[in-house]
Amino acid sequence: MSRRGARQGALYRAVRQMRENPWLTSVAVSTLTVALAIVGAYLTLVLNLDTAGRRLTTGAALMVVLHDDVSPSDGASLAREIIHWPQVVRARFVSRGEALARFRRQLGPHAGLLDGLGANPLPNAVEVELTPGIDGTETVVPRLAKLVQVAEVVTSRPWLNRLEQAMTVMGRLALAVGGLLFLGVVLLSTNTVRLAVYLRRDELEIMDLVGASTDYVRVPFVLEALLQALLAAGLASLLLWALLGLLGAPAELPLGVRLSEILRLPPQVPVVLAGVGALAGVLGGMLGVGRVLRNQVRR
Amino acid sequence: MVRLHQVTKHFPGRARPALKDVSFRVAPREFLFLNGPSGAGKTTLLRLLYGADFPTSGTVTVGKADLGRLSGRKLPRLRRRVGVIFQDFRLVPRRDVFENVALALRVAGGRGKSLVERVEKTLAMVELLDKADARADTLSGGEQQRVAVARALVGRPALLLADEPTGNLDPDNGRRVMQLLADFHARGATVMVATHDPGLLAQAGGARVLHLRDGRLEESP
Repeated sequence: MSRRGARQGALYRAVRQMRENPWLTSVAVSTLTVALAIVGAYLTLVLNLDTAGRRLTTGAALMVVLHDDVSPSDGASLAREIIHWPQVVRARFVSRGEALARFRRQLGPHAGLLDGLGANPLPNAVEVELTPGIDGTETVVPRLAKLVQVAEVVTSRPWLNRLEQAMTVMGRLALAVGGLLFLGVVLLSTNTVRLAVYLRRDELEIMDLVGASTDYVRVPFVLEALLQALLAAGLASLLLWALLGLLGAPAELPLGVRLSEILRLPPQVPVVLAGVGALAGVLGGMLGVGRVLRNQVRR
Repeated sequence: MVRLHQVTKHFPGRARPALKDVSFRVAPREFLFLNGPSGAGKTTLLRLLYGADFPTSGTVTVGKADLGRLSGRKLPRLRRRVGVIFQDFRLVPRRDVFENVALALRVAGGRGKSLVERVEKTLAMVELLDKADARADTLSGGEQQRVAVARALVGRPALLLADEPTGNLDPDNGRRVMQLLADFHARGATVMVATHDPGLLAQAGGARVLHLRDGRLEESP
């Protein structure tokens, strides 16, 4: 079959449309790239803060301080006993020496402050990590406090509860802002398609005249919007990856959160961006061309 | 083939109707001229016949289809059976001649060897096969109109509508286009030509002529 006899399917016509209007295609892709990069940056921040928040709220929530007369071997065997409790995922004995070394690391350049201490003031302890979602304030904490080796149970649970509540509110807010950003991308895609339709209005009128169905006219525009959005999603991911690489300095934030953890590109972001871009492209394509078909071509 | 019954067409913002109580019939295989001065309603009447407009009142029937009741889905199918030629050609300027003509078949799902053969045969008929690869906007006015004729004929429509088909052409090209319409009519098609040109009517031969003035039919069929 000759090239001329080949079927000119919707995808073929979509690519042809893009090639015939390189200026419009490049403007559409670059604009969508910036818009999707903003969505991606927002998504990166939300996902990374959520991960950091979850780690805080489900991390070593209990510090079980042991009496001074409890030996390190007794402390270690206590940790081995606690780890079998159903609400506990991890229990680890931390000796006084290890606690001091960790404290020294946390102080960083100010570690010299500890040099003036005559003796190690820190006690032996067991770090207990609870099953995610378990509060433990009314079950695990009283049970630990009753153990003869235990002097005190330090829990940050009340503070973490407040943090969890704040995260829930922030999550809802994030969803609303995300929805608005998505709406922005859809509108952008819609207007790009409208511009493309406007530039080809004479051709569309002729297609209508010779009996083209609505789908015959519409589908290439939708596919064009989809292809542009997918291309823009890829470029936006690359842009984000490069930008975050530049900005992600190895600085430490409060609560043990590292800046590089907040400013790293989560692997799901490119996938989500492609999905958001595809959905916005299809929606924008349908809305953009549908309105024009109703107003200009159809009765 | 075509039937208009008491058709009136009002356009918003205009006091006078574009068409007023127009009724006539066109038999299958008939060649009919629609004559009248500019603004008489010829173009409006033709637009009603291919569903670009709809009557304010009255009925327009093409074949068995009542255009006033035709759904949006069925309208494209009707248009594939009606060829239309315009004074201003209405070609896709950046496509070549072959693609302009093939468009009428592609929208109906046409492809392959049969599409190529039909397009080439039609281009040969309008004497433009050697220009098949040329972009439409590089052709002369007469050639562009012949491409438009080829596009209208390639789908072998039962009804061919031509709105001032020679209006932008020199006399020689005008005669060539009218000859193509006459040839197509001789093969069994119904042809309606709207014109204000008395010269074309002189070539009408035995064709029926309807006169429109101020939206009214002056001479009953």
